[in-house]
Amino acid sequence: MSRGVPAVEEEDGEPEGPEQSVSAPAMQEGPERELSHEEFDPKGTLALILMYFTILVVMWVFMYFIEFLGNDLVVVG
Amino acid sequence: MSVERETFADRYPEEAELVRRSFLVAFTALGLGALFGIIQALHRTNVLRFIPSTDYYTVLTAHGVLLVIVFTIFYLVGLYQWAVTRSLDRSPTNINFTRAWLTLMTIGSVITGLTILLGFVDQIGISADVLFTFYAPLQAHPLFYTGLVVFIIGTWLAGVDWFRTWLHWKQDNPDERIPLQTFMVLTTMIMWYVATIGVAIAVLFFLLPWSLGLIETVNPLLTRTLFWFFGHPVVYFWLLPAYMLWYTVLPKLAGGRLFSDPLARVVFVLFVLLSTPVGIHHQYVDPGIAEGFKFIAMTNTMFLLLPSLLTAFTVVASMEHGARQRGGEGLFRWLTALPWRDPAFTGMALAGLMFAAGGFSGMINAGMNINYLVHNTIWVPGHFHLTVGTAVALTMMAGTYWLWPQLTNRRLYSRPIGLLQVVMWFGGMALMSNSMHVAGLYGVPRRTAEPQYAGFDFQTAFGSIAELNVQLAVGGTLLFVSTLLFLGNLALSLGNPKVDGLGQTLPEPLSGPDDSPRVLDNMKLWAGIALVLVLLAYALPLGAIVQNGGLFGTGGDAYPVSVLGRFDPGVGLDAVRELLGVGR
Ligand code: HEM
Ligand SMILES: [Cu+2]
Repeated sequence: MSRGVPAVEEEDGEPEGPEQSVSAPAMQEGPERELSHEEFDPKGTLALILMYFTILVVMWVFMYFIEFLGNDLVVVG
Repeated sequence: MSVERETFADRYPEEAELVRRSFLVAFTALGLGALFGIIQALHRTNVLRFIPSTDYYTVLTAHGVLLVIVFTIFYLVGLYQWAVTRSLDRSPTNINFTRAWLTLMTIGSVITGLTILLGFVDQIGISADVLFTFYAPLQAHPLFYTGLVVFIIGTWLAGVDWFRTWLHWKQDNPDERIPLQTFMVLTTMIMWYVATIGVAIAVLFFLLPWSLGLIETVNPLLTRTLFWFFGHPVVYFWLLPAYMLWYTVLPKLAGGRLFSDPLARVVFVLFVLLSTPVGIHHQYVDPGIAEGFKFIAMTNTMFLLLPSLLTAFTVVASMEHGARQRGGEGLFRWLTALPWRDPAFTGMALAGLMFAAGGFSGMINAGMNINYLVHNTIWVPGHFHLTVGTAVALTMMAGTYWLWPQLTNRRLYSRPIGLLQVVMWFGGMALMSNSMHVAGLYGVPRRTAEPQYAGFDFQTAFGSIAELNVQLAVGGTLLFVSTLLFLGNLALSLGNPKVDGLGQTLPEPLSGPDDSPRVLDNMKLWAGIALVLVLLAYALPLGAIVQNGGLFGTGGDAYPVSVLGRFDPGVGLDAVRELLGVGR
């Protein structure tokens, strides 16, 4: 039996730490440590979102100036 | 068996049966829809043609309706039934009522689905090639609208069921906050009630009587506007079940906890408030609606970026929390600490990534001026295959990998195949939607079997139309194979033996519901404000449309896709006709 689904019952019915997903492979490692709200600082998330935002703005500007203004008007009036 | 490992199917066998049943309908629709999808992809690109081009609209209608009405919504009701039961830890007040609405929805879908598919059989004389945006002047057989009505009533009763279960729970737990998943279900349903006002009026007062021959003409602009009143919020009806999985299940899969329960609630409330008063942004090129109203719709639309950005932040932060708990370090290196070999996780994460890309094309669609560039080109299907076709559909498939074992007490047949399946969907969609977006910029139209105009060359900046066609065909094929893998994997799972202990719990959020103001749980308030906003956005434009064109307007002669006139009494359906009092 895989580790996601323990073959034996836990003594007190309390699983140790967060349980694993049923859809994860058996040898997948579980969490190593607990991070509380205070200890956790999502700086990676911030970086990713800022990157996404920059891409959005650049692409929008590109579309607007190259594709839209660069073409003849399609709809008039 | 410890209580923690008890599955949903152990604890709620009857409810689990109903969830499985709604998933069964959903996945049947998905399989058929994918079949029609690949037919379109190969036909449009001239790679392989085995249907006459005149049947293309039948295929396209079946593809659209089966996927965005039947697949997504049946998955939604199954998921929501699971979520309400699980999070309130309580059975429906009367499970026969639950059975009844699911049956109604199923009957409605079968009627509508068959009416569309009968379009392939010319002899019978029934068809409904009106696409999933079924407004005038395209007209379907009355059975198409009848099935829709039955289906929608079923969804309304589903909402009643969930509200009732919640109210009973509240009597027993007067001081507790609404559990997050139930909160999501209730807010989604409020949005649905508001949104379906438009489509109910359009169908009951205009389209159905018109198809029955009771009224001669309809005002096409009016039915279009009523359709889009519903047609925009319905996209959030598809999306919100995916959001529920992202907010409540994905953090667990990532090995962490939801970053913030209050933020999740705010996002769902924002969707209730903001999703309906924007539908006119689908009508930027419709004559007959003043520019000012279109501008207001555009401004409202831009506000909808807010809940999406909040979601991006909260969901990614929850994944990051999981990654850091699993030992992830650095500004970006934590990404490698995520459980990429879990198909449920990877499917949802890739779906979220594609949604971010869809956010870009959505912004282009939303802009009143730049929309002209892409309007009615294949760019638009490119956009919504990223959003509903991937963010929603792939999340639903991925979620199934996690949910299915708990609904059946059987393990998944194969996790590696599941992983291959979600990655293949991502790759296939990257190709297909990329080619659709680019081809759209060159002006290639959507919704046609013959996208090449005679005597006209599409100018491409680089590459060629032929190359884009190959991309579209290969992408579509990968998607089709991916669907088969998904369905096959599930079917084979049913052959696995039943085992104990597949149950799963969902971790508490890092910041819990008590950190949020209680007013968030005031459903009446949000419903009230939503209605006022809708009134503000729609009263004037609808008034103007009716004033200019009349309720039953002009120019509403049917484009003859309905063949009621050639109805062959020999087929035995004349009884139905009698019953409906039809006769022209
Ligand atoms: C096997 C995977 C799929 C393939 C190969 C595929 C292919 C296509 C193609 C080529 C079109 C454009 C047809 C045209 O405008 O001429 C289209 C339209 C569409 N697709 Fe898909 N698709 C797939 C999956 C999905 C999924 C999962 C959804 C939604 C859940 C979806 C929803 C739609 C909708 C709503 C339309 C527009 C129908 C209309 O214009 O009325 N598709 N699809
Ligand atoms: Cu919209």
